[in-house]
Amino acid sequence: MLFNSFHFLFFFIIVTSIYFILPHSKRWILLLAASCYFYMAFVPIYILILGFTIIVDYIAGICIENATGRRRKLFLIYSLVANIGTLFVFKYFNFLNDNFSFLMKGFGLDNPIPYLSILLPIGLSFHTFQAMSYTIEVYRGHQKAERHFGLYALYVMFYPQLVAGPIERPQNLLHQFREKHYFESNRVFEGLKMIVWGLFKKLVIADRLAIYVNGAYNNYDQQSGVALILATIFFSFQVYCDFSGYSDIAIGTARVMGFNLMTNFKRPIFARSTGEFWKRWHISLSTWFKDYLYFPLGGSKVAVPRMYLNLMIVFLISGLWHGANWTFIIWGGINGFYLVFALMTRKLREQFWGMTGINNFPKINTAMQILVTFTLIGFSRVFFRSENVGQAFTIIKKMASFNGSILNENLTMIAYSLFAIGFLILVELRREFFDTSFSLSNHRSFWVRNAYYAVLVLLILIVGVYDGGQFIYFQF
Amino acid sequence: MKKIIEDNGVKIFLVKLLIFIVTITVADLIIGTVLKKTYFKQQQGYDYMTTFSIKKANDPVMIFGSSRAVNIFNPAVMEKELNLPCFNAGRIGQSIFYHYAVLKSVLKRYKPEKIILSFDAGNFDKDQEDYDRLSSLLPYYESNPEIEPVINLKGPYEKIKAISTIYPYNSLLLPILNGNLNRNKRSYANIKGYMPIKKTTSGPVRTIDYTKEDVLDPEKINTYRAFISECIKAGIELHIVCPPYLVNAIGNDLSIETAKKIAAEYKIDFIDYSRDSFYMRQPQLFADFRHLNGKGADLFSEQVAEIIGNN
Repeated sequence: MLFNSFHFLFFFIIVTSIYFILPHSKRWILLLAASCYFYMAFVPIYILILGFTIIVDYIAGICIENATGRRRKLFLIYSLVANIGTLFVFKYFNFLNDNFSFLMKGFGLDNPIPYLSILLPIGLSFHTFQAMSYTIEVYRGHQKAERHFGLYALYVMFYPQLVAGPIERPQNLLHQFREKHYFESNRVFEGLKMIVWGLFKKLVIADRLAIYVNGAYNNYDQQSGVALILATIFFSFQVYCDFSGYSDIAIGTARVMGFNLMTNFKRPIFARSTGEFWKRWHISLSTWFKDYLYFPLGGSKVAVPRMYLNLMIVFLISGLWHGANWTFIIWGGINGFYLVFALMTRKLREQFWGMTGINNFPKINTAMQILVTFTLIGFSRVFFRSENVGQAFTIIKKMASFNGSILNENLTMIAYSLFAIGFLILVELRREFFDTSFSLSNHRSFWVRNAYYAVLVLLILIVGVYDGGQFIYFQF
Repeated sequence: MKKIIEDNGVKIFLVKLLIFIVTITVADLIIGTVLKKTYFKQQQGYDYMTTFSIKKANDPVMIFGSSRAVNIFNPAVMEKELNLPCFNAGRIGQSIFYHYAVLKSVLKRYKPEKIILSFDAGNFDKDQEDYDRLSSLLPYYESNPEIEPVINLKGPYEKIKAISTIYPYNSLLLPILNGNLNRNKRSYANIKGYMPIKKTTSGPVRTIDYTKEDVLDPEKINTYRAFISECIKAGIELHIVCPPYLVNAIGNDLSIETAKKIAAEYKIDFIDYSRDSFYMRQPQLFADFRHLNGKGADLFSEQVAEIIGNN
């Protein structure tokens, strides 16, 4: 069930209405049943995989809490193996087998291992990571093991964030299922406003840009360098609005019912360095990797070369998390390299910019930093968007030639796309750099707020793309 | 329940929500009405072409199809050969669903003598975009109820969506503005739906492997059958034509093979030029591997008209 569908609209209205009518003690049953229905609307049978990891981690959590000494670690390892094992079978087995086949071919041999004929369960990486964060936190003693099976299942399956995050931590979410949530009109409106803004980002911006991007990337061999550059720039905005739009709808949906999910995006298009970008982009995943991989590896409290290695490991695994394809691994590698390179050259760069005197012009300096960061991140996304490594290199080669025109004569499409990007930049620019005391979305007058959101809804009706399909991050 | 309402402002919420819904409804009605009026005042562009095909065209010979119909069948050339007014009602990027809907609307107004349906390789392949593109028929949802079943193929919620006055004109704001500017004096009515391509291909001849298993869309096959049945029922002479490609084909395209079989079932003429050796040797007649250029289109239109005329 997609957030941008009528199916979800009806589902949301029905579930939310019943939620507020039901007594608090029965609400978890409704939410769990609704979450099962939500997930099964994609591929029903895959609920069994979710069920398996839920049972394993529920038992593991209790066992970890009850155990002492090395047994605690053992139960944690069982849980992690079960989760990563599930992820491996459904997401990475065929990829590794493919690479193994390639290797065997090099030696003139056939690969005897058969491929698995399975579809990737939707949002598998998201709920697996959320489940893992639970057992790790119980192991670390930051979270008490949940004894109520239904509530634990709901923690993994809570439908607003089930298939594409934000990847929650048990400390933030689990206790909220026990709290009574009353109907508060201000909070409900706040949630609804987030949903409208999320839908605007998805339907008016992301899906509009997708038309151009898909047109260019799916026929990259027939496109000019300039068209591919434009498509890559558009893709940066597309993927941001697609994913942050989803997060806004997820957070808004939960907020309507009284739940607070973590912020997942903080205007990453205005990041001034790649390091800052990762503090603003997909925050729930970045912090997951920081807490559960980077710090355990030693983080920055190790020798400098080891720290660089830790960063590269984190980014390569982050790439692999996104998809079982070398394109994602290279994408992760490039972003890891950016960070390592930035750390290695920090002093040198500071000296250089000091000499140029750019620091005396802070606004120009900031604009340049934003532009450079946007370009670097955008470049890495050529790999993120390409079907395979060969395609990515061909596209980069074509982009480097910098010739040709912008795709075709369809100026209408480009005009819509530019309008969409312009609108987004205006809204985000004000939130990022200007005094937020004046805001149309949060204006004191109800009529101004009403008019602002009416305009957003009308824009969705007039220029939204209704056939854009699913969210990009569902595939992960 | 009463306590919740008093304490937490459900009433206030509902009042505010109602005001918001009323604001949207009124604005939707006003903007939608303006869009509707301006939509049907267009004098150029793809949407104008559709309006003209559905509401005005009355030529005895009508051509249906996607870009390969629009770019390849030249009514002016065919008229000379057939001695009958001819009109190209094709639309770029559309599938059999669209052609069937337009046919239904045309038949409501008049009965053409001859119809040419341009058929392409892969026309029966499953492709969600073919359903999505039916949105170009939404402006006619209200005035032409006969196309409703076709539009409903888009999804189960089209009737609900159509409550919005704006929805049928979604994403059409700029095309409507452009269609009303009236800059292009060569209007659709004058060129009779034909849009030649001037360029000549320079790329190498492609090889297309048709041996891989295609998944055919039963909905498309049924609609193709319905198209044939409608023509037969109305006593229209139907010719299904597959224009030439500039490709080295491996195997046979399943869509073409299936379409041929069905045409044979109904005893309908299927003129297949998809592997014509003459055109394969004439790259100068092609704009790209799928489309003949203006020169090629004239030659092919003449050939097709000759065949049809002799029938």
